[in-house]
Amino acid sequence: MEDAAIVDLYWQRSDRALSETDKKYGRYCHSIAYRICGAVEDAEECVNDTWLRAWNSMPTERPSVLGAFLGRITRNLALDRIKARNTVKRGGGQAPLALSELEDCIPGGTSPEQAVEEKELEAVIGRFVASLPKTERIVFVQRYFYLIPIDEISRELGFHPGKVKSMLFRSRKKLRAALEKEGLS
Amino acid sequence: MNREKLFDALAGIDERYVGEALHYSPEDASGSSERIVHLKKKRLISLALAAALVLALGVAAYAVYSTYSARVPAPEESFRISWEENASGYIEWTDAKLAVTFPETAESREIEFRPGWLPDELNSLKSDEWRSRLTAEQLADKYPDMTASQPLLIESYSMSMFNNGGALLLLYYTPEDIIEEHWDEQGVDVMRFHCTQVLEANAYAPERTLEEDILLMSDPDEGWIVRLAGEVGMDTLVKVARNLEIRETGKTLRYDDFEDHYTFMDGGVG
Repeated sequence: MEDAAIVDLYWQRSDRALSETDKKYGRYCHSIAYRICGAVEDAEECVNDTWLRAWNSMPTERPSVLGAFLGRITRNLALDRIKARNTVKRGGGQAPLALSELEDCIPGGTSPEQAVEEKELEAVIGRFVASLPKTERIVFVQRYFYLIPIDEISRELGFHPGKVKSMLFRSRKKLRAALEKEGLS
Repeated sequence: MNREKLFDALAGIDERYVGEALHYSPEDASGSSERIVHLKKKRLISLALAAALVLALGVAAYAVYSTYSARVPAPEESFRISWEENASGYIEWTDAKLAVTFPETAESREIEFRPGWLPDELNSLKSDEWRSRLTAEQLADKYPDMTASQPLLIESYSMSMFNNGGALLLLYYTPEDIIEEHWDEQGVDVMRFHCTQVLEANAYAPERTLEEDILLMSDPDEGWIVRLAGEVGMDTLVKVARNLEIRETGKTLRYDDFEDHYTFMDGGVG
């Protein structure tokens, strides 16, 4: 079923909206949650919570890209879950690995007092992502938004894993430069 | 700021780009047993390929060693080539199907190039502009598989950007016969070969064999390399290279001129 038709079902408050969403995006959301949480049970709960959140959001929202909309909800719910359990550094999912890689984007001399407002940081990241060449952007978003393992990205895009790692390394360097330029440290 | 805040902020990436990177294919969601069997079969094939590649690596390394090589490291399983000080920048030696080293050059002459001839289908890329890189990315509409391979890519490199005292080119492809020449007209050493890369089947794509030709033009004394690669065919690639105008800018490049330093040159596509 087309995304627009599924969204219409939400707006009509039809129960079928949930079953169609699960059918089309169940595995996708589950894989996002599993990569972050590293546990099947947690992932399943995140997916169920995603459907609930989607049900409560539509109406009033009408997402243009349903997959991205649901993926974002799942990602946030999964991150909330691991934060609550304080397992960010010890979990078995992709989140600790991705976190570790992102460390090189953080300019030196940081202190908690210099923390920036979330919106400002998001705006800088938004501009940075928009500035990346398309292929590099896809790799960056797949890795750091969807937390897809490097091997999987390389298989999907037809690149060697070494090339994907190189692209990510360059992107992180660029992101670091962008953050420093904006005085975010 | 800490890494968690940065990670959280990534959730705000614009919907367009999140959707663009959405790799999920709903049609593939069923995960049939047929696919699992296929993947198991593929794994066996991969092992056989790996064994063949070790042999190919030895032959290729010897062939290259005769003229180009200063140092071709032994292909040991544990050998790792560092790139910067970043763990994620490492590449396993066994990933490389071919290694090419160039004579050590501390300084390089900066060069620019412009194509004097391009095949008709790529003629729109031609201009009088001097450049250090030419890609066919703007023709992505005509080449839907552009993320995996390019019809034509020309890039110039300087040996002084490498931090190990020489340039090392690693290729992920398996090369066929390597032809080495010297082109008097342009005063360059040339190495060219056809090569293949077999990509295993996965949930999103069947097995694919990427094929392209690679042509390396270099002037070891001046410290520059031009790499031409693509799917346009070797004859066409040679014609492009023969008609490539190359000029020195007059600038000498030293190690410190480069923000990025490499121990290896990424020889992948794209």
